[in-house]
Amino acid sequence: EDAADENQSSAEVIARRKRLVDEWNAWRTSIRLAMFEDTGKKEADHGDTEKE
Amino acid sequence: MRPILLQGHERSLTQIKFNKEGDLLFSCSKDHIINVWFSHNGERLGTYDGHNGTVWTVDVDAKSELLVSGSADNQLRLWSVATGKCLFVWEFPTAVKRVAFGEDDTKIVCITEQRMGHQCAIRVFDINREEPTRQSKEPLHMFNIIGSKATVCAFTYTPNVILTGHESGKVSLFDVRSGEEIENNERAHSDVVTDLQLCKDQTYFITSSKDKSARILDIRNLMPIKTYTTETPLNSAAIAPNRPYVLLGGGQDAMSVTTTSLRQGKFETRFWHRVFEEEVGRVKGHFGPINTIAVHPAGTCYASGGEDGFIRVHHFDESYLRAKPYGDLEIMD
Repeated sequence: EDAADENQSSAEVIARRKRLVDEWNAWRTSIRLAMFEDTGKKEADHGDTEKE
Repeated sequence: MRPILLQGHERSLTQIKFNKEGDLLFSCSKDHIINVWFSHNGERLGTYDGHNGTVWTVDVDAKSELLVSGSADNQLRLWSVATGKCLFVWEFPTAVKRVAFGEDDTKIVCITEQRMGHQCAIRVFDINREEPTRQSKEPLHMFNIIGSKATVCAFTYTPNVILTGHESGKVSLFDVRSGEEIENNERAHSDVVTDLQLCKDQTYFITSSKDKSARILDIRNLMPIKTYTTETPLNSAAIAPNRPYVLLGGGQDAMSVTTTSLRQGKFETRFWHRVFEEEVGRVKGHFGPINTIAVHPAGTCYASGGEDGFIRVHHFDESYLRAKPYGDLEIMD
């Protein structure tokens, strides 16, 4: 029963983290697009290659 | 992760900055001196000598040619990185608390202190890169800050727009041409904003505050995206490129330690997961509060400057760079 509880809570943690990462990545994408629209710059113009 | 201890300052550090390549680390201090170090081995490359007061702030251009510094002697100085020579001096009625290069290194912005009947002011100067010893004494733009004074500033990706952090905890965007406040968040923090560092593409930034928290804010609307709440006043916050972390530093000052905290110090650099807002580790070492943190532009090492007068450079182990402590989730920088 304890092990099942643990699995349940770790599954919740994993789901929460997945959601947080998805939200973060969606926000990063939207703000970058907004910046490129604002400045007319393409990502490649912005200097160095940015590793993601 | 064995640290390199940089010993060359006799008093507390006020700001440290890597150059764009990350091979050089610039440091300024209350001992009136600016130093430059090789980041890979901690060897001191040179000194920029001339200020007659605490050097509060320093910034270097993307080509590592020009250095700008601001001091309690009311001077803003432009230096040649390579020769250590002072190229130009601007004089103001009050201390220079923060400087930053911007707009492809053709401009600098500075904050001067509110004191002795003078208001806190923001000035933007054009930089004559062709003849660096010939600069305009007069700022291109200047305006006073109404209300809570500005403590930190930086250029943004939008031309003529700067970002400021304030004593009240406010964060603002200003149009430098008119001095108009375009956007603000009065409640970004509830106490002094102590540091402000932008991410590589300048679309978001991190602030640290005496309110014991650091925050990531959206550059467009200044809304908080992430909050990292600690148990100590923070003096600095930095974003670790290519890794999902932020680095926070601070600590109770000596006077408060004896009255408010049983546990002496808490002078550790704290690593927080940028997205999950969870603390993932701490690095000890300093004997006093951490005043300033900088991360190598490639994310391979970081440096912290302390009230104790030391700079500690930590090169990350391979294991740190490889580690995926939260699984395979792809996190954008």
